[in-house]
Amino acid sequence: MTNNFRSNITPTWCPGCQNYLVYAALQKNFADLKINVDNLIMNYDIGCAGNMADFFKTYGAHTLHGRSIAMAMGEKIVNPNLTVCVIGGDGGIYGEGLNHLVAAARANINIKVFVSNNFLYSLTTGQTSPTTPKGAHTKSTPTGNINEPIHPVELLKTVNQEIFVESVDVKDIPKLNNTIKRALEFSGFALVDITQECVAFGKQLK
Amino acid sequence: MANKVYTFKIAGPAGLGIKSIGQLFSKILIAHGFNLADYSEYPSLVRGGHNTYQISFSLDKVFAPHYQINAFFAINPGHWQQHQSEFNSKTLIFSDEENPESGRMEKGIFYNLPLKTLANEIGSPLVVNTISLGVAVYLLGFDLNLTKEIVCGFYQKFSDLNSRAIQAGYDYAQTNFPKCKLDLKTKINPKTDQQLYEGNESYGWGFLAGGGNFYAAYPMTPATGALHFLAAKQEAFPNIKVIHAEDEVGVANMGAGAAFAGARAAVGTSGGGFALMNEAVSYCGVAEIGLVYYLVSRPGPATGLPTWTAQGDLMHAIYSGHGEFPKVVMAPGDIDESFEMGYQSLNLAAKLQTPIIVVSDKFLGESSASTNNLSKIKVKIETGDIETKPSQNYARYKFTPNGISPLTIPGTPNGQFLANSYEHDELGFSTEDAQVSQKMFDKRMAKNKLAIKLAPKANLFGNNTAKTLIISWGSTKGPILEALKDLPNKDDFAFLQIKTLWPINPDIKNIINGFSNTVVIENNGTGQLVTLLKSQFDFNPTKIHLRNDGRPFFPEEIIKLLK
Ligand SMILES: Cc1ncc(C[n+]2csc(CCOP(=O)(O)OP(=O)(O)O)c2C)c(N)n1
Ligand code: SF4
Ligand SMILES: [Mg+2]
Repeated sequence: MTNNFRSNITPTWCPGCQNYLVYAALQKNFADLKINVDNLIMNYDIGCAGNMADFFKTYGAHTLHGRSIAMAMGEKIVNPNLTVCVIGGDGGIYGEGLNHLVAAARANINIKVFVSNNFLYSLTTGQTSPTTPKGAHTKSTPTGNINEPIHPVELLKTVNQEIFVESVDVKDIPKLNNTIKRALEFSGFALVDITQECVAFGKQLK
Repeated sequence: MANKVYTFKIAGPAGLGIKSIGQLFSKILIAHGFNLADYSEYPSLVRGGHNTYQISFSLDKVFAPHYQINAFFAINPGHWQQHQSEFNSKTLIFSDEENPESGRMEKGIFYNLPLKTLANEIGSPLVVNTISLGVAVYLLGFDLNLTKEIVCGFYQKFSDLNSRAIQAGYDYAQTNFPKCKLDLKTKINPKTDQQLYEGNESYGWGFLAGGGNFYAAYPMTPATGALHFLAAKQEAFPNIKVIHAEDEVGVANMGAGAAFAGARAAVGTSGGGFALMNEAVSYCGVAEIGLVYYLVSRPGPATGLPTWTAQGDLMHAIYSGHGEFPKVVMAPGDIDESFEMGYQSLNLAAKLQTPIIVVSDKFLGESSASTNNLSKIKVKIETGDIETKPSQNYARYKFTPNGISPLTIPGTPNGQFLANSYEHDELGFSTEDAQVSQKMFDKRMAKNKLAIKLAPKANLFGNNTAKTLIISWGSTKGPILEALKDLPNKDDFAFLQIKTLWPINPDIKNIINGFSNTVVIENNGTGQLVTLLKSQFDFNPTKIHLRNDGRPFFPEEIIKLLK
């Protein structure tokens, strides 16, 4: 039976939103790797990226903001036969839920985390996030962001050398596909930091 | 005639094995046919301070520890001083000091027990606790060989040392305190089926009996006992996973993930940790995930009194989680009910697909009592409405009259759905449609009706024609029942123990309305059960007795309040 993992719901992202590329790449790689849709759980954070929840038809959990990784860990611990993925934004994964991310990396638990890193809180209309560059003017930092940004790849590598963690530009489609594929095939914790530009609020960062 | 209840107490600084010697004493009492209930107090530190352990025992059932002490052992000089209100003219006080400063001892009969000297003769300063136990064993006329057998089983590596310590205490007492020997007037009748359990352990046994296979927690007194107990059981029960997660938010969301993936799951904490779990309680409510929260209270607010007791989280549990959704809040009253709610909560979580909160407290969770061997009890495991062969158009959140929609477990072909924290349609996809939102809310809330039917019913002790109804919940059950044993006018009283605090069963109103006098007893500062019942029906208790100083009620105190 063929299954393209999609629900019947038309994505609600802004026209030109780069989450469409992530959505397409995930579907392609699930199909290429012949992942059984019955044994796949997708966990979605809250945010524009997490809104992918309605566009997939797999076992899924649209969790609380920041808690998608903790939820995923519970699932994987209970049933290691499942493929367990997480989709979230830089705010949810590197901010609100950072403690869970570090815990998952320390445990090297075999879950796959895909972060749409757009350097902003977009669903909440464009405030500063943990990856926003220093000095950037955003709605919550009108006089400039005073914080150093987090560098997720470097950060996680110091937590655990054994895990898979790479960053990729969403517009480099072949590399995006290849990175997602290797993350899914990796036999341990994997995080793909997918950098992108929010077409609605990204102009603030320029 | 009822058998007498004796109460022994030992006190000293932390780190000298006060609690472990108490538990050993309990085992010896059980082996000699006694029933018992214990209670320990300790400050939130690891060395020094003042720890106590007391135990009330009888050939009859003992529902709660007593306040008045028959024999008191201070393992360091002076550690009896702050306990004088627990002494009476006949209390035997043993302490390692020749002449307690005259005038300081108000009541009781003092005996010098040279623990330090005896311990030095044995060759270890650490056996002062075991020497005291040897004295207690003599006072009770217990079998020395049977005692030593138990001591050796308990200490294993240090069995020789402790065996000699028991003997030394016993011999010293035989020579010096022959007049203190208590006349138990009973024939010792060892029965071996009784075991000793802390409330947290009996909850753990109930969890295991009920097929629990995922437990997550972050250490927090007084709930940590359940984490330790279950973590240690992973070898004997290879199917269970016990996780010490990064924080309580992680614990609660991991628990939700585990339950969603098909586990019979629970998470454990105290009030502060439960506050952090609140958002996840709400998520489980909307996504209809059956997860159990084992909430073992200590006095708040904030860090509060970490190692003391209170029933201050009733409303916190009932109103936990933002928004409105069905949940069950229930409270065990004793060791046996901790076991029962351990498995009942899992069954309810499976059947109602919603948060189930079991509220215990330090007094129940960390005190021990003797009961049947819980590891041998088989219980009914109810898995709820699970769909194993869903059709192509399976809808996880199908509208049903009783609110329960058949549930698939990830891995089941065709069973895909979204466990959504947003309001959703029958498939689980987000919706903002007014009609669907209202209908989905109503569907979930319909489960309250079923919850009333399925959740544990209140206990009514005594007869319906009594003059006064005592009303309470949770761990106050023991002290109330123990008080009713000795109350001169006990036939004037009936006692209603409310086991399910949410949703409130309408029968409770009918029972309460059958009495003209009502007395509420609660181990908190504001009378949360009173507030709760007032919100349900016209309720005006005749009297309210509260205690909120970190200590439990003792039976003697309740007798005074009721007389
Ligand atoms: C506990 C909690 N706090 C705040 C919010 C509001 N909120 C929704 S999405 C979001 C940030 C989203 O940013 P990010 O994770 O980067 O996702 P993006 O929208 O950029 O894809 C916030 C703060 C929430 N839903 N829950
Ligand atoms: S706000 Fe930005 S991230 Fe959100 S949908 Fe629009 S473009 Fe995409
Ligand atoms: Mg973002």
